[in-house]
Amino acid sequence: MTKSAPGVRIDGLTVVYKTPAGELPAVRDVRLTLEPGTITGIVGESGSGKSTLALSLLNAVQPPGRISAGSVEIDGLGDVVGLRNEQLRKARGKHIGYVFQAAQNSLNPLKTVGKQLLDLGRSHGVNDLPGLVREARELLGRMGLDGARVLDSHQHELSGGMRQRVGIMLALVLNAHLVVLDEPTTALDMITQANILKIVREVHAERGLTTLVITHDIGVVAEVADRLAVMYGGRLVEQGPTREVLGAPRHPYTKGLIKAIPRLVGDIDEAQALPGRPPTLATVPAEGCVFRERCPLRMDVCDTVDPEARVDAGAGGPRAVACHAVTVKEHA
Amino acid sequence: MITGTGIVKTFKQRGKVLGAREVQALRGVDFAIPKGGAASFIGESGCGKTTLGRIIAGLETYDAGDVVIGDVPMSPLKPKQRQPHFRKIQLIHQDPYSALNPTRTVHQTLHAPLSLRAGQTGRSRAWMEERAAEVLSLVGLDPGSVLSRYPHQLSGGMRQRVVIARALTVDPEMLVADEAVSMIDVSLRLGILALLKDLRERLGVSVLFITHDVATARYIGDDGELYVIYRGQVVERGPVDTIIADPVHPYTQSLLSAIPVLHGLERPGEQPVEPLESLDESQADEGCLFARRCPFRGERCEGERPLLQLTGGVPQEHACFFPERRSVIARPMSEV
Repeated sequence: MTKSAPGVRIDGLTVVYKTPAGELPAVRDVRLTLEPGTITGIVGESGSGKSTLALSLLNAVQPPGRISAGSVEIDGLGDVVGLRNEQLRKARGKHIGYVFQAAQNSLNPLKTVGKQLLDLGRSHGVNDLPGLVREARELLGRMGLDGARVLDSHQHELSGGMRQRVGIMLALVLNAHLVVLDEPTTALDMITQANILKIVREVHAERGLTTLVITHDIGVVAEVADRLAVMYGGRLVEQGPTREVLGAPRHPYTKGLIKAIPRLVGDIDEAQALPGRPPTLATVPAEGCVFRERCPLRMDVCDTVDPEARVDAGAGGPRAVACHAVTVKEHA
Repeated sequence: MITGTGIVKTFKQRGKVLGAREVQALRGVDFAIPKGGAASFIGESGCGKTTLGRIIAGLETYDAGDVVIGDVPMSPLKPKQRQPHFRKIQLIHQDPYSALNPTRTVHQTLHAPLSLRAGQTGRSRAWMEERAAEVLSLVGLDPGSVLSRYPHQLSGGMRQRVVIARALTVDPEMLVADEAVSMIDVSLRLGILALLKDLRERLGVSVLFITHDVATARYIGDDGELYVIYRGQVVERGPVDTIIADPVHPYTQSLLSAIPVLHGLERPGEQPVEPLESLDESQADEGCLFARRCPFRGERCEGERPLLQLTGGVPQEHACFFPERRSVIARPMSEV
């Protein structure tokens, strides 16, 4: 068992959902590496497949969905796609901590946080329960909360920001070194968000974690992530070091997304909404580029051929972009 | 013109377990939103901005002060008499998923308020159909393809447009948009903001925008007023661009400092302000409400409450004894 930050290699991952129209891919042929000790941010709109991808790390895609191809190799665990039942249950929590979307609502309203912590410990066969409580109090204290008070509280006695911190504590308390945070700051106001992001950064560094943050908000990724991956219609369309991607985006979707962020300074008319709307499972084109309907650079080839991700070794780490127009322009 | 003077609202909690306690949601708030104008309320969760929005839309009572719609004060009126006045103010909720009845098509959703109006004014069925198509076109939807659909067949952005269309069926004077874009996909948010701005310009509808995301407040019009609300008190007020560029109240500065910086595109402000502790509504009410969290508090702040006023040689009103400009917001790299 490794107790240092694990690396994760996702390769050729495809997740399909069974619908009346047949099995449709929510995530298609995704290749992504999480280097040990880094924070990676995945940005995408609703229906982009980002949450499905994150659940695949736990092999926790619920029916009618299933992982139909590819592998998710995690150091110290192997390929989680091949894990079953008991092995899987033990891996979750112990190796991989998951802070669920809307963690504010993922606590049991009938039990105190402390009781839920003990349940978690028992289900993972922890013998030293007082030690677990000590660890939890320390973590909560680290995040600026009164540990004893929080453990004695029911969820309704805690504010949104406090519940989010409880979610992070529960994900880390079994000493997991791979942590997935799904929309960690949605529904929190700006000051609380800034606070949580600071905690995520600090805890990540102090405990030596590999962290994956899933969000629709580029600002969140810009604040915490070393690397940024952009998803659209189930495909990974661009990835690279956060600063490089934000400073010089290459995929037309990334460009559009950055342009659509309301800014505090500068010409108001510079920010513009992307025309069209994101595809749903049913409207994602079966062949060709998933973004072409909204793309200003659309060419004939985009209708039929799905662009391959082209990888460049950059100064700050590899960059990849999957776009015919970008490839053509750079080769011309 | 819709104005409010000295609006006070106290929520009383009766509890056997935690004991009774009172929360002062609003502590004497004044506002004025001119016809066709725009205003934004910003602040943390729990600052009272949503309560104020609901009072303005007639959905919540208030304990003192008055709301004046046109030139009619609401307090002396009986609840039934207020109704036609408050109908001029329509609330757009945060969540377009729960704001629409899932068992009704868009056609049915728009028909309910339209038939009420048709009944009152003796208009025909044909007028209703025409008007339904008209409001949908106004919000940028194609009536032909949308009218027969159910909410689950529409995207979040389209749903929010339907909600706005429904509000427009009663010819409102003002739309109150409470976090109206926070649940909309990022690439579509600006479209909804642009729509609100467009409705202001074309129909002369005033817009009251309630949000915790200051940047979006800029997009409903640069002539808009920004109200920064903290624990039920307006602590800074003035033109949107002035307050964003040159905030003087430490609370406003904390809000602006907390906005994520797009590293790679932007450089963070040089003097970010971080509150000393997090919001606690049960904190003592004496003195400045922000004093406990304020890194710049002085002795005077603990004993005396600063009131909103124009002093200190700055163009905006503020409630701070020690107003000072600080460079808190991120600026584009290209500018430096």
